[in-house]
Parts: sequence; structure tokens; C-alpha cells
Amino acid sequence: MSTSLEMKKIQKWYGGLHVVRDFDLYVEPGEFVTFLGPSGSGKTTALKMIAGFEPPSGGDMLLGSRSIVDVPPYERGIGMVFQNYALFPHMTVAENVAFPLKVRRVARGEIEQKVLRALELVKMAEYRDRYPNQLSGGQQQRIALARAIVFDPSLLLMDEPLGALDRNLREHMKIEIMRIQKELNITVIFVTHDQDEALVMSDRIAVINEGKLVQVADAKSLYYRPQDRFVASFVGESNLLPCRVDQVENGAGRVTIGNQESGVVRLNGQSRGESGWLFVRPEHVDISARGAITDVGNVLDGVVENALFLGELTRYVVRCGKESITVKQQNRGQPQFTSGTPVSVSWNAGNSIVLN
Amino acid sequence: MTLLAKEKAAEAAGANVPRSQNHLNGLLEHRRIRGAIIAAPIVVLLLGFLVIPLSIILWGSVEGDKLTFSHYARIFSDETNFSVMLQTLKVGLIVTLLSLAASYPVAYLLTQIKSRALSIVTLFILVPLFTAFLIRTYAWMIILGRQGPINNTLIWLGLIREPLPLLNTTFGVVIGMVHVFMPIAIFTMYSSMVRIDHNFARAAQILGAKPVQAFLRVYFPMSLPGVFSAGILIFIIAIGFYITPALLGGPRDAMITQLIVTQMTTLLNFELSFASSIVLLLVTIGVLFFASLFIPLEMIWASPSVEITSQKPRSKSRFFGDVKQAVQPILTTVEALIHLVTKPLLTRKACWLWAYTILALLFLTAPLIVVFLLSFSSSLFVVFPPPGFSLQWWVKLGHASDWHESFLFSVKLGFVSAFFATIIGTMGAFWLVRTTLPFKRALFLFCLSPLMVPVIIIATALYMFEARIHLLGSFAGLVIGHVLLSVPYVVVVMAAALRGFDQSLEKAAAIHGARPMQVLRLVTLPLLKPALLTAGLLAFLTSFDELLITMFMIGRQTLTLPFKFWNDIKYELNPLLSAASTFIVILVAAAILTAHWIKVRHDRRISAGTGK
Repeated sequence: MSTSLEMKKIQKWYGGLHVVRDFDLYVEPGEFVTFLGPSGSGKTTALKMIAGFEPPSGGDMLLGSRSIVDVPPYERGIGMVFQNYALFPHMTVAENVAFPLKVRRVARGEIEQKVLRALELVKMAEYRDRYPNQLSGGQQQRIALARAIVFDPSLLLMDEPLGALDRNLREHMKIEIMRIQKELNITVIFVTHDQDEALVMSDRIAVINEGKLVQVADAKSLYYRPQDRFVASFVGESNLLPCRVDQVENGAGRVTIGNQESGVVRLNGQSRGESGWLFVRPEHVDISARGAITDVGNVLDGVVENALFLGELTRYVVRCGKESITVKQQNRGQPQFTSGTPVSVSWNAGNSIVLN
Repeated sequence: MTLLAKEKAAEAAGANVPRSQNHLNGLLEHRRIRGAIIAAPIVVLLLGFLVIPLSIILWGSVEGDKLTFSHYARIFSDETNFSVMLQTLKVGLIVTLLSLAASYPVAYLLTQIKSRALSIVTLFILVPLFTAFLIRTYAWMIILGRQGPINNTLIWLGLIREPLPLLNTTFGVVIGMVHVFMPIAIFTMYSSMVRIDHNFARAAQILGAKPVQAFLRVYFPMSLPGVFSAGILIFIIAIGFYITPALLGGPRDAMITQLIVTQMTTLLNFELSFASSIVLLLVTIGVLFFASLFIPLEMIWASPSVEITSQKPRSKSRFFGDVKQAVQPILTTVEALIHLVTKPLLTRKACWLWAYTILALLFLTAPLIVVFLLSFSSSLFVVFPPPGFSLQWWVKLGHASDWHESFLFSVKLGFVSAFFATIIGTMGAFWLVRTTLPFKRALFLFCLSPLMVPVIIIATALYMFEARIHLLGSFAGLVIGHVLLSVPYVVVVMAAALRGFDQSLEKAAAIHGARPMQVLRLVTLPLLKPALLTAGLLAFLTSFDELLITMFMIGRQTLTLPFKFWNDIKYELNPLLSAASTFIVILVAAAILTAHWIKVRHDRRISAGTGK
């Protein structure tokens, strides 16, 4: 039932515009993979090529062991949830869900049974005779999902399906989609520009920028070990400080930020004398009064530029020479610093990395 | 790990590129074939039965390879012919300006009222709009006649002794034509004015503009493109109009169309009529070219595809801006004066607008009411008000087998024409909207060309052409003429529907397993149903009301209803015509209401966010 998808050197040109470059991706059967990227990054184009709405300009695509590049959409056996749901307005909920079976000339009794099962799976069985415009956004979303899975597709594509929902509903639908995916053990390609959706739902996230796959990894590696400045800044909040590598010692090194020597960090293959960007998450940075001794390797002196009390945490912007560093400190009763206070910021070597 | 092996396989897959490229080409060819198939009917129709016939009369007007312009010279040197030209332009201009001025307040009111009132007012305009020109003109013949209600009232009031000669005057022509064009003007202006947000004017007022200033400086300039396109539309129809001037005008009110018909049918002076046709056509083209400097031409017939407000100011409007700057002090004074005068009126603006609108609606529907009442007249003559009640004319109509035959023939002709027009037009609309074409706008305008060429010219050109290919006088020949006239309406309606069509629905159908024909059958066509119905109805009514082409093409077939009507009007005015008219009006109104009802029901079901 669930099938692997493999993209091999997929390219897409629109005129002189290279919108998808060298996509190489293997999606395991039953895996939930998210295409994450800003708008215009090519993620939707990639999805359209998988669906068969756009022919790739080069490369090959295998669904299971079958090449689908030359297969029209209606023979691919893929389910899809559209951004605006694309429910047929002239059909009832049940007719919408029955559609994929009807066009495949499935026997009526079987259609009845499968539609009911799909509607029960999305908890919408009692709405079967309504028309789509009589449903709320979240309900339409569920029907679109039911329609996409009713015929046991080998692959489920979801094109920013949560974009049109309000916040609470979105949280709820995330959980629902994950539940259904696990229940059916279906391979899913999910497209979004929302990092929260990507982090929560996916087995692996493929970060896409300017038509290229930048990093494909699970949520934790992506968050803690970004391989690239784009990933670091696009996923979560991060400090990126220009630095120069002074010393190299098996994978770690000593760096200088501005003219302050900060200490030991992990390197990402840089050699001595190279400049790069020191990456550290704001929640990994500690803040303390100037001079209070910290035994972690990396210390910078600075002045609090502004402090925002957010309840559970306080967000500081600390100016250290030319750079400013964002610090998120969990509030557990420690003293708060007002702006203008001279402070030291510090972080663990293991939590920082130098990116090119 | 297998990934590595797959990596290797990916290398090999590089060899796939040319294959898929080939496939892409194949697909493109396929697409091109598909495009050619859906484009063929409308292109063949327009080239074969409009462009070629027009070329024939153009060729004929210079006597073929003799290339003589003597016939053109005759139009401009002969005083009678030349004065007919001037009269045509004069009447066209007066009628256009009057129709616009009379319709603007109604269109403005329509943009302000809620759906319930809107549909009622709209109905009062729609029914006159779809009532045949001929019936409306007939009504005016009664009203303006010596024994008509106007003369009778004036005599009864003692204001005059002798009936005024209202019929067969320029006044009669103008009033009849304004009546014909007002509904068109209202709807054309409304369709573009409804897109103007009234908040602009409100914003102007909160910023300190007096109501008059807010209207004159903010709303009115924004509504001008709509007014302009309505004006162009009316002017080009007016100068090519035949029925009303021929019936309501006197000998001195002859317009160029009458000249063409007379030259062609009685004087048999073909070359001169060709030359006159070409002159009329050139004037029309000139007017359209002039219009295209200011507005996108397709806006005249279809609602604009681009937002009016988002357009960059063109150089001409900048010129007007400079002029305005220069007369600024005068303008302000005038505005202040108008404000003083209209202040008491404008505070209850809606009330005055309503009063005017009701008057306008009365003007539009009164002729139909007169016709209706007259059909129950006990008199043998056309006298209004009727001296007594009688069903004699209805009984007569019930026994008039010639009317029955004409009615059935017209219905048959209407259905056949509407059937072909809807298919050809819908395919054309798919071609224009769904395929990537160079010169898309020009092709769209080309598909509307039967609406631009005055009908009289299409009629004469098609007459000459069909005579050559021996189609003249056949049912097929007649159908072709009617299809030609109604196809543009179908294209306009279907193109609008297709532009508003959410194509992700078709993609959703395709990815879930529907083959192209299944997508068409299960998704596309059901969703286009109301538009198809509207298009079909428009096509049917166009054919059902058509007179000019029929006059030339009918041959020895049964007379169509309008032609029968025409003959009888010219022969004798009697209340039987009223009974027939009433019957037709009721039928047309019922058809419009049914179509409207189906559309509303469909929309309520499918449009988002209305159901509960």
C-alpha cells in the first residue's frame, strides 16, 4: 500500500528560470517528509511534478519501482490535499469522497463502504449529505483528506493544507493528520512554509531554498545541527555572528568574534584563518552580570540594549561591539537586567557551530 | 546501504532526459492538436461567414479589379446621401448622450441597493431589454400615434386641439431609440460601476469634501470608463440601427441603414449600397479605434478583466489633469454653488434617486403595459385607452394559423441556432481562456467582431455570399446568420465563467483518477451549467428577436415571428399585434425568470459561505 518515492536529479526550468535544481531525494515507504521553504523556493513546483501537473525538465522519478515521469496524473494513484481543498462544490460530502472510486469504476457497494470508512477516519460521517459550502474550513479540510485517502493511494501529497485555518484549528489538525498517517501508514509529502508544522509533524524535513535541497534531516538535527546559514536562520531563531577561525584541533576550533576572543566551538570543516559565521541558539546563551565568573568556554562582554519580559522567558538583545546577540532566558527567579546594564554572555562550546 | 546503489542508478537516469524531452514535445503537439480542434468551429464560422463576405462587398464596392472609387464619391457628393450620413451621426450622438444621462442615476442607484431590491429593479430593466426591438417600437408607434395616449391626454387637458405629429419625426426616432438603449446603458455602466468601492467617496467626505465634491471628484471620474464604454457601445449600435428609425422616423429622418436597404432591395444599386456599408463600417471601426485609446475594447462587451483603478494613468488622463488644474478656481466655485443648491436634495439623496429610478422604470415598462392593455381592446382600431374590454384579439390570435406557423418556425430556428452557437461559442471560450495563445486579446476581440460590425452590413454581406454558394433561402443559411450573431454573447458569458473557474478543481479530479473526459463530464460541465444556460438563453433570444438577417436570408421559407410582425406593422397597425406581443413578452419574461431561478439555486448551493 504505502510506497517509496524517489526523485533523481529532478530539474525544472521555466524559460530561463531554474526553479528546481538537482532534486535527489528518497522517501521511505510510510515516511512523512516535509518540503519546507520560503515562498518561491520551488517546493510547490516540486510537488506539482510529483503529482504530474508539471513535467520535469530533466531527471527521473520513481514511485515504488515504476518511473512515473511519463504517467499522466490520473494514472499515478496519488492522493492530494490542495491548499484551498478543491472540494467539488456541486457534490455532497459523500459524493466528493466517492469521486476517486467512482472514476475508477469501483462497485457501488464497495464505494459505499469505503466512503463510510474514510469519513469515520476523519470523524465526519454525520456530514455526508452536506455540501462543501455548508462546512467550516476545518471540516472541509477533513473531507479533502478523506477524499485523498479513500482509494488507498500509494502516496499522499499535501500542499500547505493548514494555511487557511485559524491557529487553534491548525494545532488540532496537525495532530489529526499525524494520527491518520500513522493509522494508515501512508507515505506523505507535505509542503509548508511554516517551520512549526514541519518540526512537529515530519519524520524528515527537506529544507528548500532557491530551488535546491539545502538539508534533509529529522527535526532535531535540523534544529541543533544546521549545515548552512539559511537553515539556521529559517528554522527557529538563531544568532549568527561573523567570526574568524584562529586554531583548529580535531573538529573543534578557537574563533575570534570582532576583536573579542570567544573560545572553543565546533567547526564544520573550516580550516585555520577562514572566516565563517558562529551559530548559537538564543536559548543556549546565558546572561550574567559582567565579571561573574562562568566556566564555559565562550564568553563575550556586552551591554543590554533592550530587555523584553515575556512571562515564561525574558528576551535580551545584548550589544557586544559591532554585533548584537539575542538571549532567551527562562525565568526561574533570577535577577532581571535592565537596558544599559553591562553584562557577560556565554555559551557551551557544544551548542555552537561555525557555518560558512 | 541501497541508497548508494540508487545514487548510481541516478547517474544512469541522466540518459532519460532526451526521452522525456521527446515526450514533452509529443505532449505539446498533442496540446496543439487539441487547441486546433476547439478553435476550429469559431474560426471557420468567423472567417467563412464574416471575413470573406465582408471582403466580397469591399471588393464589390470598388467594382473589383476596376478599383473605382466613384461609388464612394457619390456618397459624399450627392447631397441626399451625404445628409443621410450626417443625420445618422447626429441621431446617434443625441441618442447616446440622452441614454447615458438618463441611465447614469439608475446605474448609480443599482450599485447602492441590497440584493432583494436589486433583483426587483433589475427585473424591470431586464424584461424591456429582452423584449424585441420590434415590439418596443410597435408600442411607441401606438403611444406616439394620433390616437395614442400622449395626444389623447394633451387634448383631454385642453392643451392642444389637434393631435401633435409625434410619429415620423426625429423626436419619435430619438425617444424610441433611447428606450431601446437605456437598459443596455444601465447594465453596461452598472457592471463597471459596481466595482467602485463607495468607501472612496466616504473617505473623501471624512477628509472634508462636500458630498458634491466627493461625487464629482472621486466617484464620477472613477465611473467614467464605464460611462465611456456604454457610450461607445450605444453609438455603434445606433448608427447601424434599422428597425426603429424605419418605423418611427419620417422621410427626412432616414439613416444610412435605410439607404443601404433601399439601394439593395428596391433600387438594386448594389455597388452604392456596398460603398455605403463600407463607409458605415469604417465609421464604426474609427469609433472603436478612438475608444481603444482610452479603454480596453473588450470592456465594452465583457466586464473588464483588469481592475480599472489599478491602471496606470495614461498620458491623456494626465493631460486632462493639467486642464483641470488650470480651471481649478472656477471648478471650486461651481462646486460650491452646486453644493448650495443640492444640499437640501442630497441629504435625502437616496430618496431622490429612487424617485428618479421609478420614473425611469416607468418609462421603460410603460410601452409594454400599453401593448398589454391594448391586447384586450374592444375596438377594431389602435385606440388608447381602449374603449372597452374584449378578448376578441386573443381569440383571433388563437385561430391565426399563420401566426402559429411563424411562432413554431421561430422557436425551431431559435433552438437550432442556440444549440450550435452554444457549442461553438463554448469551445471558442475554452480556446481563448484555457490555451496559451499569442495575441490573445486580439483573438478575443476577433471573436466578438459580429457585435462590432453593424448588423445591416453582416446581413447584406452574408446575402451576397450565400447567394454565391447557393445557401441563400435555405434553413442552414438562416441558421448560420443567426449563429454568427449569437456566438459572441456565448463567448463573452462562457469566457467570464471560465476565468472565474477554479482550475484546482480539475487538478483535484485528475490526481484522484479522473481521465480528461471524465473531468469534463463530472466536474467542468456541471459547474458551468448556469453559464451554459445563460449563454444558450441569450443565443436563443438573439435569434428569436432577429429581423435584419432574416429579412435578407429567409427566401421562401415560413416567415419568422419578427418578420411576420414587421410585415403586419408596415401593412396595418391593429390590436392583434398587441396580443401577439404580449404573448411573446410573457414567454420571454418567463424564460428569463426560470433561468435566473436556476442560476440562483445553483449559486446558493456552490458559492462559499452562504449556506448554513
